[in-house]
Amino acid sequence: MSFQKCFEIILKYYPSFLLGIRTTLIVALSGTLIGLIIGLFVGGIRAIKLDKTASGLNKTLKAIIDAILKVYIEVFRGTPMMVQAVFIYYLVYTNIVHWNKMVAAIFVISINTGAYMAEIVRSGIQAVDPGQNEAARSLGMSSMQTMMNIVLPQAIKNAFPAIGNELIVNIKDSSVLMIISITELMFQSNSIAGTTYRFTETYFVTAMIYLSLTTISSIILNAIEKKLNHTRTSLPQSDTNAHSMTIAQKGADYADN
Amino acid sequence: MPIIEVNNVRKSFDKLGVLSDISFTVEKGEVVCLIGPSGSGKSTMLRCINLLEDIDEGQIVVLGQDINKIKDINAYRKQVGMVFQQFNLFANMNVIENCILAQVKVLKKDRKSAEETAMEQLKKVGMGDFVYAYPSTLSGGQKQRVAIARALCMNPEILLFDEPTSALDPEMVGEVLSVIKDLANEDMTMIVVTHEMGFAKDVADKVIFMDDGLIVEEGKPEQIFNNPKNERTRQFLSRIL
Repeated sequence: MSFQKCFEIILKYYPSFLLGIRTTLIVALSGTLIGLIIGLFVGGIRAIKLDKTASGLNKTLKAIIDAILKVYIEVFRGTPMMVQAVFIYYLVYTNIVHWNKMVAAIFVISINTGAYMAEIVRSGIQAVDPGQNEAARSLGMSSMQTMMNIVLPQAIKNAFPAIGNELIVNIKDSSVLMIISITELMFQSNSIAGTTYRFTETYFVTAMIYLSLTTISSIILNAIEKKLNHTRTSLPQSDTNAHSMTIAQKGADYADN
Repeated sequence: MPIIEVNNVRKSFDKLGVLSDISFTVEKGEVVCLIGPSGSGKSTMLRCINLLEDIDEGQIVVLGQDINKIKDINAYRKQVGMVFQQFNLFANMNVIENCILAQVKVLKKDRKSAEETAMEQLKKVGMGDFVYAYPSTLSGGQKQRVAIARALCMNPEILLFDEPTSALDPEMVGEVLSVIKDLANEDMTMIVVTHEMGFAKDVADKVIFMDDGLIVEEGKPEQIFNNPKNERTRQFLSRIL
């Protein structure tokens, strides 16, 4: 392998690489975002526990929905994304509509990510202190209101590192979507390697590009995580307001008795 | 007519009996303290009144309705406030949002009047200067005072306290008890599960001593603390006082 050749390939084929990077980022980012939205719904619904007073109809409905969601998660976690991509692409292409390959790619990566996100969200929800739920319910809030306002925001924060991890995974794993020939980075690299016959050098460049993309993403994700945790780190303050002091004083008198 | 009537309530977790045949009443404006050793069923009894636990047998009548036959649990719960040992302030919200949320979502108040109520209650518990603080930046005593304000914002008929000072260091116990005492003076109906015997003696209209899922003795605080009839009560109090 020669680095000389690597530079020549970069100089000559950078527009192709750039197109590949662009497509990879579009697919990975939109796949992660849509996947997160799917995951919030699926994980949220799966984590809701109906009250004992809920009607029989609601209980049956919930059980059916839970079963469907469980099957969805098992199927999409249990089969390779590459297989999902070709199967879904051709299934729709030959039976329903001649759809755009990019749309197909984003669709596949989104529902695939959604299955993982659902479990990530569910684990994030389980990590929220049950007392939060009890407090909200004791104020008369419904299980839905509690989920939306109290539990999910905390669950997302708990799960943020795992959610960010999915973005990194998607940047790399979107490479399998070359199977339906979208112009993402791996597909572009194959074309370049095929033209130049410099396989080692081309794929070395490709690997470096992937590594840069994932490293930059990690740095951005870490910065966001730091920001999310920011408000929770200050130390206890003392309450020196006059009225509060009287309360504290009364308290102290009280403890003496 | 009593505001809370507990009749022959039994409850067990799997095979472990927690409450066996509990009956007592609470009148409007009364402060009832539940005391007794850990594991005696005090907290479980309280949680049953707020429907956080279901009972196996018996009946609990609150505000004239049999609560285990209620269809709309949320409408019931907004009338009965609860304060927890672990405070359970919403960690993703600051102090005033903690107090506003349920007013807007459950009582359907508009934000402005909810905010006014929240401010009023927070000032009352001495937390008016901390409205934008996040729970994690507050001390235990401050958190518990916010939790009390949050419950008061719903304008409940009854307040339930589940060991409100057990997670606090001794210096902070006083500030929380003094807030509860103020409420007692305003004739709020309250049931307080507590290990603070001094507080119970001082504030309670009625003290109930529970052990092993049973009410061993109940009566006026003077009688329970100065002249307990039951041997078990005497034994418990001699260790604590």
